[in-house]
Amino acid sequence: MRLPRLFRTTPFRLTLLFLALFGAAASAFLAYIYVATAGEAQRRTDKEITREAASLAGAYNRGGLDGLNQSLIERAANERPFLYLLMTPQGQRISGSIAESPLDKFDGSPTWASFSVSDLDAENRPVKHPARGFQERLASGEILFVGADIGEDQAYVGKIVRALWGAGALVVVLGLAGGVLVSRNVSRSMASLTDVVASVRNGDFGARARVRGSRDEFDELAEGINDMLDRLERSMAGHRHAGDAIAHDLRSPVTRLRARLEAAYIDLEAGRGNAEQALAQALEDTDGVLKTFGAVLAIARLQAAGEAPSPQLLNPGELAANMAELYEPVCEDVELEFRAELAQDLVVRGNHEFLAQALANILDNAVKYTPTGGAIMLRVRQRSSGEVEFSVTDTGPGVPEADRSRVVDRFVRLENSRNQPGAGLGLSLVAAVAEAHHGRLELAEGPGMVGDIGPGLRVALVLPRA
Amino acid sequence: MRILIVEDDVEAAEAMDRGLTEGGHECRRAADGEEGLAVARQAEFDVMIVDRMMPRMDGVTLVETLRRDGDQTPVLFLSALGEINDRVTGLKAGGDDYLVKPYAFAELIARVEALSRRRETGSVQTLLKVGDLEMDLIGRSVHRQGKEIDLQPREFQLLEFMMRHAGQSVTRTMLLEKVWEYHFDPQTNVIDVHISRLRSKIDKGFDRAMLQTVRGAGYRLET
Repeated sequence: MRLPRLFRTTPFRLTLLFLALFGAAASAFLAYIYVATAGEAQRRTDKEITREAASLAGAYNRGGLDGLNQSLIERAANERPFLYLLMTPQGQRISGSIAESPLDKFDGSPTWASFSVSDLDAENRPVKHPARGFQERLASGEILFVGADIGEDQAYVGKIVRALWGAGALVVVLGLAGGVLVSRNVSRSMASLTDVVASVRNGDFGARARVRGSRDEFDELAEGINDMLDRLERSMAGHRHAGDAIAHDLRSPVTRLRARLEAAYIDLEAGRGNAEQALAQALEDTDGVLKTFGAVLAIARLQAAGEAPSPQLLNPGELAANMAELYEPVCEDVELEFRAELAQDLVVRGNHEFLAQALANILDNAVKYTPTGGAIMLRVRQRSSGEVEFSVTDTGPGVPEADRSRVVDRFVRLENSRNQPGAGLGLSLVAAVAEAHHGRLELAEGPGMVGDIGPGLRVALVLPRA
Repeated sequence: MRILIVEDDVEAAEAMDRGLTEGGHECRRAADGEEGLAVARQAEFDVMIVDRMMPRMDGVTLVETLRRDGDQTPVLFLSALGEINDRVTGLKAGGDDYLVKPYAFAELIARVEALSRRRETGSVQTLLKVGDLEMDLIGRSVHRQGKEIDLQPREFQLLEFMMRHAGQSVTRTMLLEKVWEYHFDPQTNVIDVHISRLRSKIDKGFDRAMLQTVRGAGYRLET
């Protein structure tokens, strides 16, 4: 038979274990209390009996047997709790408040005895009380017994014992109840986490653990799990988007490639066309496909990771200077004026390779879309907010304001922005790089109309202070 | 050149084998890491082309094992993994170069040839000489037919790389990686611009153009 679920939970088992330990400790404690109280009562009785016997011995010493007898009769008549018996050396009763000695055998040396006495209760029914006494032989040979009814003391000890039993039972009951409560509480918290795990296992990645706001370790665990699931979901969404985007972005170039190859094949079969040229074209197309594939993959991986890999502290001015060195001749080649203003004393934290690629993409775009005779400005500076800004300003046609946000938007909307002039896959990668560095990409109007062309574009990659 | 190809993709290995053999090289093939290790221990090779992910023993383990044995044969890693970290892992394991799949065959040949050359020039050189072109690495000066050619620092680095690989094809990607140390593809042909500037400095006014464009591959400095 399987135990009910509750009894199989770890907290309940722990409760039982602690209950056992606590029970053992409580038993030892209660045992000590019992010994201390009940034992003390008996010691006190014995002391009193001894004192009474000594007092009678005094009377005997002063007045002999007669004096003792006298004193004994007086005391027996009083409302004292003691029991007396004076006997002949042979054990015959002379006087006293009880009929015979409770001791069957008496060898003459002082002896203690526990016995019981009969009495009548309030309704004249005979009851037996526990009693205790002391018997000794007097110097003249007579035997003296002094005892006391300890019924009241025993009743008191009995009360203590009953109280102790009650306390023990209470400990067990309260302990069990507490254990059940705690276990139920913990089990419920665990159950909600288990449910989330089960849901996710069954494919529901939207399932989240409930955070109760108690800020305990269960909340921490729930938050941790939720955080993990968020990341997983984002990562999976990233991969899914990557798959969609790759399919979308590559379908047309691959289809084009296929059509070209087919046409070339038909031409060659018919004895027309140039095989070499067709192959060269096919190679070029394939390279284009691979380039797109690489860019889409890079974006998706960055987005899925959510963080730039192996970040380090680097000098943005130096990084931009290297890029300027790479692109200045390119600008000169297509007759664009190129200028750079690079602050050299800044620090950013990031991945050198990705930041360089992002800058290269921005510069590529500027070179591509700025007409001959235009100008490009590369700038690195610190904003008053402390953020570090890389910016490229050109005198090209710019991007209409309505489309700017779409260009910077996440990869999902890439398809829309890709068809806009001036915003290719390159800027999507820049946006992904910015996001992976906890920064952002800003697009704004450039320097305005230059000749008939304008308003130009200002692309800024803004990174948080290191 | 004796080349060992360790690649589990039979078709890819065959294509490499065919291409390299036609280029005048002698190839041996191994279908997985363990076989590759055995073959590499039996014979001497000038270059090894090693796929990273293979059954039985992966490429990184293979190269690590060889390096522990003291084998210093240059290794070109091939991998479908192109992340920076993967590249670093490969190079740390003892690889000398790293090529991400899919690749152009011209790129593979250029890198393999560059690797073999690097091995030969192990000693420290202070003077590079290719035809009538001379580069003084200590004085940082370049002369052609005794005439001094004034180069910018980057142009100097670019020419140094071309001279160290004189007679071999060098691709744009290799130049971007080895001279500028970037591992990405710029959209515009930035490298072409830099090469054409360098060309105008070292070839202009001389009877023979040394810096040649290799169609479909990159550039070559003729000896």
